[in-house]
Amino acid sequence: MIKPTEDILDKVNHRDGLTVPEGFFADFNARMASMLPEQEWEQARTEIVPPRSFWAKVRPYVYLAAMFLGVWCMMQMFDLMKPAARPDLSFDSNPVLAAAVSDDSFVNDYYLETFSDYELMDQMIEDGTVEDFLYADDLE
Amino acid sequence: MKTESKTQQLEEELLVQRLRDRATCRAAFADVIAYYSEQLYRQIRRMVPSHDDAADLLQNTFMKAWMNIENFKGTAKLSTWLHKIAINESLSFLEKERRRQNLSLDDDESGLVNAIMADEWVDGDELTRKLRVAISMLPEKQRLVFNMRYYEEMKYEQMSEILGTSVGALKASYHLAEKKIKEFFADND
Repeated sequence: MIKPTEDILDKVNHRDGLTVPEGFFADFNARMASMLPEQEWEQARTEIVPPRSFWAKVRPYVYLAAMFLGVWCMMQMFDLMKPAARPDLSFDSNPVLAAAVSDDSFVNDYYLETFSDYELMDQMIEDGTVEDFLYADDLE
Repeated sequence: MKTESKTQQLEEELLVQRLRDRATCRAAFADVIAYYSEQLYRQIRRMVPSHDDAADLLQNTFMKAWMNIENFKGTAKLSTWLHKIAINESLSFLEKERRRQNLSLDDDESGLVNAIMADEWVDGDELTRKLRVAISMLPEKQRLVFNMRYYEEMKYEQMSEILGTSVGALKASYHLAEKKIKEFFADND
C-alpha cells in the first residue's frame, strides 16, 4: 500500500513549479559579473601597469643638470661681483686720473668751480680739516 | 550519472584552480556565477516567498562570495561553500523580515502562505502549489532540509557539510517533515 505522503510526493515528482522572467539568468549573470568590485590585488596591479614614458625616465636627470647649470651661473655671477674683478679706480693705478688731479688748473677749472665756497667749507668741517685751512696763512 | 558527477567534480576543481590564480580569478568567478546562479536561485527561492527577494538574495550571495574569495581555502567543495552562503543569506533575510513586520513564527507562516498563493512566477498545478504551502508551514530548518533533499536530491553527506548537522539528525528531520506534510494533506483534503 502506498502511503499518502509518498503518493503526493511521487505525483509532484520533484517539480517546484517555480519560474523566472524570460532571460532572467542570462541578464543576471552578465549584470552580476560586471558589478563585482575591484579586489585589493587588482587595484595594486592597475597602479603598476602604466608604462613610464621616455620623458618620465629622463626627467630627474634633466632637472639635476639644470640645477647644476644654475649653480654654475650663480658662481659666475658672484665671481664677476668680486671687488678684484671691478676696474681699479684708485689714483695709483689710474695714471689719467692721477695726472688730472695733480694738475691745478684742471682741478680749478673742472672740479672746484662746480662747488661753492660754502660747500667746500661744509665738506672741510665734516672732514675736520677746516682748522688747517683757516690757519694755514697764519702759519706761513 | 557517475560520469556526470565526475565531470562536474573536474569542472569544479578547474574552477577552483582558476579562482586561486589572481590573474584568472575575476574571469573564473564570472564562470562561477554562470554555473551556479540557477541552482542557488532555486534554493533561495524555495525559502523566500517572492522572485524579487530571491533575486536580491542571490546577488548578495555572489557579492559575499566574491568579497571573501581569498578566504575560500578549497578544503570544502565550492558548491558547498556557495550553498552555505546562500542559506545564511536566506535565513537572515527571513529573520529580518519577521522582525521588521514584528511577527511571531505562526504569523510568519500565514504570511508565507499568502505570499505563495499570490506568487505570479509559478507555473505549477494545484498540487505543486499545495505542496509548497505545506512546506512553508514547516519550521525553517526542517523546510531547508526537506527542500534540499526532495527538490535538489542532495546527498545527506553534502547537506551535513552545508548545515553542520549530523547525517542522522538530517534523516530524522526529513522524515519528520514528510510526516507533517502528510498530516497537512490529510487535514486539507
